[in-house]
Amino acid sequence: MTSPELPVTTGRQLGRRSWAEPWKIKMVEPLRMTTRAEREEAMAEAGYNTFLLRADDVYIDLLTDSGTNAMSDRQWSGLLLGDEAYAGSRNFYELEDAVRRYYGYQHVVPTHQGRGAEHLISQIAIRPGQFVPGNMYFTTTRTHQELAGGIFEDVIIDEAHDPQSEYPFKGDVDLGKLERLVAREGAQNIAYVSLAGTVNMAGGQPVSMACVRALRGLCDRHGIRLFLDATRMVENSFFIKEREAGYAARSVAEILKEFCSYTDGAWMSAKKDSLVNIGGWLALNDRALFEDARNLVVVYEGLHTYGGLAGRDMAAMAIGIAESVQEEHISSRIGQVRYLGELLDVAGVPFVKPVGGHAIFLDARRFYPQLSQDDLPAQTLAAELYLDSGVRGMERGIVSAGRDPKTGENHHPRLELTRLAIPRRVYTQAHMDIVAEAVQDVYASRAEAKGLTMAYEPRFLRFFQARFERL
Amino acid sequence: MTDEPYRTIIEPFRIHSVEPMRMTTRAERVAALAAAGYNLFELHSQDVLIDLLTDSGTGAMSAEQWAGIQRGNEAYAGAPSFYRFLDAVTTLFPFRHVLPTHQGRAAEKILFTAIGRPGLVVPNNTHFDTTRANIEFSGAQAVDLPVPEGLVPSVRHPFKGNLDVAALDRLLAGRADTVPLVMVTVTNNSGGGQPVSMANLRAVREVCDRYGKPLFLDACRFAENAWFIREREPGYADVAVADIVREMAGLADGMTMSAKKDPLANMGGWLALNDDDLAEQCRSLEILTEGFPTYGGLAGRDLEAIAQGLTECVSEDYLRYRIRSVAYLGEALEAAGVPVVVPFGGHAVFIDARAMLGHINPLRYPGQSLACALYEEGGVRSCEIGTVMFGLNPDGTETPAAMDLVRLAIPRRTYTQSHMDYLIEVVARVAKRADSLPGMRIVSQPRQLRHFTARFEPVG
Repeated sequence: MTSPELPVTTGRQLGRRSWAEPWKIKMVEPLRMTTRAEREEAMAEAGYNTFLLRADDVYIDLLTDSGTNAMSDRQWSGLLLGDEAYAGSRNFYELEDAVRRYYGYQHVVPTHQGRGAEHLISQIAIRPGQFVPGNMYFTTTRTHQELAGGIFEDVIIDEAHDPQSEYPFKGDVDLGKLERLVAREGAQNIAYVSLAGTVNMAGGQPVSMACVRALRGLCDRHGIRLFLDATRMVENSFFIKEREAGYAARSVAEILKEFCSYTDGAWMSAKKDSLVNIGGWLALNDRALFEDARNLVVVYEGLHTYGGLAGRDMAAMAIGIAESVQEEHISSRIGQVRYLGELLDVAGVPFVKPVGGHAIFLDARRFYPQLSQDDLPAQTLAAELYLDSGVRGMERGIVSAGRDPKTGENHHPRLELTRLAIPRRVYTQAHMDIVAEAVQDVYASRAEAKGLTMAYEPRFLRFFQARFERL
Repeated sequence: MTDEPYRTIIEPFRIHSVEPMRMTTRAERVAALAAAGYNLFELHSQDVLIDLLTDSGTGAMSAEQWAGIQRGNEAYAGAPSFYRFLDAVTTLFPFRHVLPTHQGRAAEKILFTAIGRPGLVVPNNTHFDTTRANIEFSGAQAVDLPVPEGLVPSVRHPFKGNLDVAALDRLLAGRADTVPLVMVTVTNNSGGGQPVSMANLRAVREVCDRYGKPLFLDACRFAENAWFIREREPGYADVAVADIVREMAGLADGMTMSAKKDPLANMGGWLALNDDDLAEQCRSLEILTEGFPTYGGLAGRDLEAIAQGLTECVSEDYLRYRIRSVAYLGEALEAAGVPVVVPFGGHAVFIDARAMLGHINPLRYPGQSLACALYEEGGVRSCEIGTVMFGLNPDGTETPAAMDLVRLAIPRRTYTQSHMDYLIEVVARVAKRADSLPGMRIVSQPRQLRHFTARFEPVG
């Protein structure tokens, strides 16, 4: 019941009860405000690529939710308790325990971050010429698969490519597509199925338990291995609890472990779900494959009991894993992302629905209908948003999709998105209000946007370092 | 009253934070060693009393470095912590491009992925294990060209780390087109932590210029090397260490670096170079395996710790203490009749296991045997640098390494003089029964870098 004499909270205005974070702030980091003129100069200097901005020139940094999290006081204590022994550090065994307990895999190899683990799994599990079917590509994952000689094949359901579809599990694999690929190429030519939960490029969309269970059956029938990109699997588990029949009364931790139990191993960027600033791991149930990974990790990353991480960072990761599956944490995390979505929805801004776990993905095609995809609408939107208010987002469209390694032609993904990724436990509701107003204002002046063209294009993962010019 | 300096050189710091150690019994150590397959890399650190496995990443940071850890900015792109790091690196090493990496071997990986391929040869005074592995992984060949003195543990020479310039000249005269670059490792770790003189670097530069070859430093222990130049090379006694470092860098075209050594950090490294095209290629590779070029796979806080560490490690008071405390250990072992590599290097004392355990054939790994005995005797963890580390050829055959050493690497600012006194007693006790130590046999090993994961058993 609201009383008209009292100030009305945003939650009430949106017709629901407000939520609050299950923590209070212990340490802060000042932000710098900039003027429009300063931002114009900074953006031009950065070649209209938000990756090339100096962080000091950014007000609210939604470039990524990767490694940008605020750690808890317990995690900071873990930093001080770091055991920096080169071999056999106590913190390695803490990490190994946490991965076994919460993800359920047998063997753990730490890596300095997720792409280190992607590199390892690609090198040890792909023979040149083999196919790697997956539920939509991810930039670094596909690049490592291709460098190992693999051929990525997208087997995600069609709904994933439709930003307006409200399907609850837009990360699911289309089993028919996968069966047809196996029939066409033969099971021996499939390196493994590469399953990501949630699917970043589709908008942080989850995979259902029914899907992974069915995939397990399919893989068993054909003798194919199933590996999981577990980067945001805790967020995925929360969506299963909310949306999938039979899981409402199960804990997120139980759901996570059940999901992982259908897979043969996983690679992880702990910089997302696990609430740390650096770190990752590869976990495998197969002993022989683990031996291969262990022998290779020392060449690229570091000895297998530190994998290129300081002991303190393994300590923080082990604690972060335990914190990440707490129900209050994960519901407040996803609640904040949804809150931003609600504010944008009210204003009619087009974005991918349903709202995913870690980010709002603005639909740049509908935002800028006057621009063709070759005018780089999502890159344009990221630049405009920064210019308007110092909010930094990231292009996830044609620039990120890169070129076909065989033909050299640009991939033209159906989704042309600008991602506003929300770091965990970092920004407040007031910060989200600022972001919402910025997006609303840029939307109001959308007719003036002219697009961008690429002036410098690096060979691999071009979105990171490309430079652009205004059209 | 006198201004004469004291003979005792004290630590130029006091202790800000401590970490408890666990004592073990001999029976516990015997069991732990067997469970680890007689490979000290496989021991749990909690079963180790004095951990001299490596000086890499094991140093104690200063209060200012910990403050940097708190200050770290974790922005994915363009973090202020990166720019502080960049400033600190280019102040000492004024190269045009600096690419942070999660540690030194990643810098090597990027460099040799970019320039290595079958048929090429990369010369160095002595390649370290990960350098060699990364070169061989690219299909190229890693060639060691140390001066002859560098291979004789008992010969005293002020710069045993020098590269054999005549041998380099001969190599380049014969097959210059197959050499993509020349490397010099300062200090020469595998050769006993021995320094390289400025004169030698200058001579190598001159040969490189004649053949148009770039010169890269593997600069992990640049500050210790610069200190030895200051102490031992004519004309440098009054030159600041930072200036000596800049002069060394000025002779090179690039460097690979592990910040876990001299820069006093627990994690980190970088690749720096002047060549714009190569830098662009390396940056693309960096993104693939490390991270975006303004964090390179490191937390922002680690970039801060490195930046601060770089200002501390060129301090003359610090280096005097550092080098003196290693020599203290070396002198005591020498006095106890233990054969050690002389003169003492910067970061470690190297015991000549082949001389000490003359009854063990090099292919029965005298260094591994001695390292295991030191652990069993007193919970001291050291590292074999010999036939286990370098003896396995890419074709699977095995040849004895040039030397069989056991390295007692001293973590920076971590252990006290009484820790060293205990260690000296442990080594002396093992030395008394050296004749009775068994050789070792490899039970299982990987194809590369076998010393990290191989399993052993004593024979005889």
